[in-house]
Amino acid sequence: MGTKNSAADGDRYVAVFDSAQFTALRRRSNAFIGWASVIFYGWWLLVILLAAFAPDFYRQDLVGPINVGLLAVFLSFNLVVVVASVYMRFARTQLDPLSERIRADLEGGLR
Amino acid sequence: MTGVLAAPPPIDNTWAAPAIAIAVAIPLAILVFALVNAARGGIRTPNDFLLAGKRVGAGQNALAMMGAFMMYSTVIIIIGHVALNGYDAILFVTAFAVGSVLGVLIYAGPMRNVGGHTMGDLFVLRARERPARIASAVVTLVTYTMFMVAMLGAIGLVATRMFDTSPEANLPLAAVAMVVVGLVAILWVYMGGMPGVTRMLVLKAILVGSFVVVLTVVVLAKYKLNIIDLLDDAEANANPDKRGYDLLGPGRLFGENSTPNSGQDPWVHLSKLVSVVIGGMGMPWLFMRYYVATSGRDARRSAGWAAMFTAGFYQLLIIIGLGAVALLGAKGIGTNYHHRDTTLPRLVDDFGGEWASGLLGGVAMISVAAIFAAMLINAVTSYTKDINAARGRQPEPAAELKEIRRNVLVIGIVSLVAGAAMVPVFTRIFIPTVVDLGASTVLPAIVYSLFWRRFNTRGLMWTVYGGLAVTVVMVAFSNGVSGDPNSWWPNSDFKIFDIEPGLIAGPLGFLFGYLGTITSSERNDAGFAEMQVRALTGAVVPPRNDPSTGSANLPTGSVGVPNGSADKRDRGSRTPSGAH
Repeated sequence: MGTKNSAADGDRYVAVFDSAQFTALRRRSNAFIGWASVIFYGWWLLVILLAAFAPDFYRQDLVGPINVGLLAVFLSFNLVVVVASVYMRFARTQLDPLSERIRADLEGGLR
Repeated sequence: MTGVLAAPPPIDNTWAAPAIAIAVAIPLAILVFALVNAARGGIRTPNDFLLAGKRVGAGQNALAMMGAFMMYSTVIIIIGHVALNGYDAILFVTAFAVGSVLGVLIYAGPMRNVGGHTMGDLFVLRARERPARIASAVVTLVTYTMFMVAMLGAIGLVATRMFDTSPEANLPLAAVAMVVVGLVAILWVYMGGMPGVTRMLVLKAILVGSFVVVLTVVVLAKYKLNIIDLLDDAEANANPDKRGYDLLGPGRLFGENSTPNSGQDPWVHLSKLVSVVIGGMGMPWLFMRYYVATSGRDARRSAGWAAMFTAGFYQLLIIIGLGAVALLGAKGIGTNYHHRDTTLPRLVDDFGGEWASGLLGGVAMISVAAIFAAMLINAVTSYTKDINAARGRQPEPAAELKEIRRNVLVIGIVSLVAGAAMVPVFTRIFIPTVVDLGASTVLPAIVYSLFWRRFNTRGLMWTVYGGLAVTVVMVAFSNGVSGDPNSWWPNSDFKIFDIEPGLIAGPLGFLFGYLGTITSSERNDAGFAEMQVRALTGAVVPPRNDPSTGSANLPTGSVGVPNGSADKRDRGSRTPSGAH
């Protein structure tokens, strides 16, 4: 619908976009997503690069048949759970209240 | 040799229990019919049909997402893959779970908040409407065509592996199964639309999930919960690798000569691990699960829970795969590429005899049919919504609902005919190609749309069509097409790439989008502001000029409905316009 908005509606979005509240929300959200992605996918890249190019490192035994490689897999699965739950918590406590306020302002002002 | 109908090497089928499998599949199909039929009464508008009225709660949606991940290749084949190829295959399984985080961090919340029915609803905020809609339809329908063929292939595989006991693939049976099961799935969609598809996916996730949990418990019980003994046995009983790689260490897929006639190892397997992570979630039919959520928040929660479930689910599959080789031994599992999908039914048969294996067959058949149905509704959504928008048509809701239902039948039946013809040839290359497209077109187009202020029409065009072109060219010169005993033309060799195209095409998709954007002077800062405000807050400014006709500009159908029910229903999303 973007292309069909009247100029006045577009201006309202721009005004919100430029507001201090929204800038704070955007920064917070982007910073989390950026860092979480870099750390999480950086970890994954490291895991698979080691498997491809340093297989002997992964073959070292830790406990019985469990080697470094299996530990890396186990940590990766747990990291999925950690990243998902930390982001859900962060969004609920840090992003949602702010976005709710902005939304109420924007939509409420029209009623 | 490529697909199902081109007949994998014969194998002594000792596990199938066709009579019981049929006896399980038919009541399950009837149960799905009942669920779908119960959903039917609530469908009054196009949005009810395509998006389940945006009333799917987070828990139900998370289960439906899980159901959408569970395919023949990601459950049945992957267990055999782990049993045969050990550690490197385990990394592949891990990649699926790792990839699901992309849905949580990037796709789910913003895409639901922007709203609408397809990726096109996001693209139009950053690019001119017509090309944006066409780009969305092209990506969605190309993905659909390829994946649909692969899913029909999966129906054929389930039929030959679990509904038949002959050592050779029973091709007539596979063909009949594709037609019958395909028609049943089309009918499910026709009757119940997205509410029906959602219930069906939830049922499927519960069935497959319970089956996997019970199987894991049985495997672990055999080892008195001692995972160390299980791993020791798996290593000891593993199919020996010619190059001497252990089962539990890297090498079986990374090592030299893992890929026939290729000098590109270990990059081949590495590229697969990267492609699945960046492309696996970028499938338009998975995005439908975000659009049906009651709010952006619920979409995010369902993606988050689904990622957690996925992480647990795939760890169970790894235990089952290693347990299979530990308990059945090297000769008891599928011992080559084509027979990996026999490992799970053999293990199930070993534990529970014909009743268990028949149950597996019935559940597997319903599961592959469910995926076909979930994909069909995505294709219908894009075909109806994107193409209508590109042509500037605004049908009345009642007329549009009729059009949608008709499209279900037309697209479904055309798919069945064309798909069944393509199955023998293309099945093997299509699943990875879809994942590569997710990496080379969908991911860059959406990341740029959501985060880059400068992004514009030309950038979108170059990303989508450039990524698509590179992927198709790379696949044409890949070992899926020639130069490999398992390829389409095993006797000719014009392959260049053994590596998965996603590794190259993904970054190239980003590069094309960048170049296209900066070479065009088009720039829409207001569009970016609108997209960002909507994506982060879910707010929608209702057009003010004329509330009654103005709302018809919105890309959803429900807003035009005169009765109050649409408003009431959409209040869950707390959007005053009731549109998003």
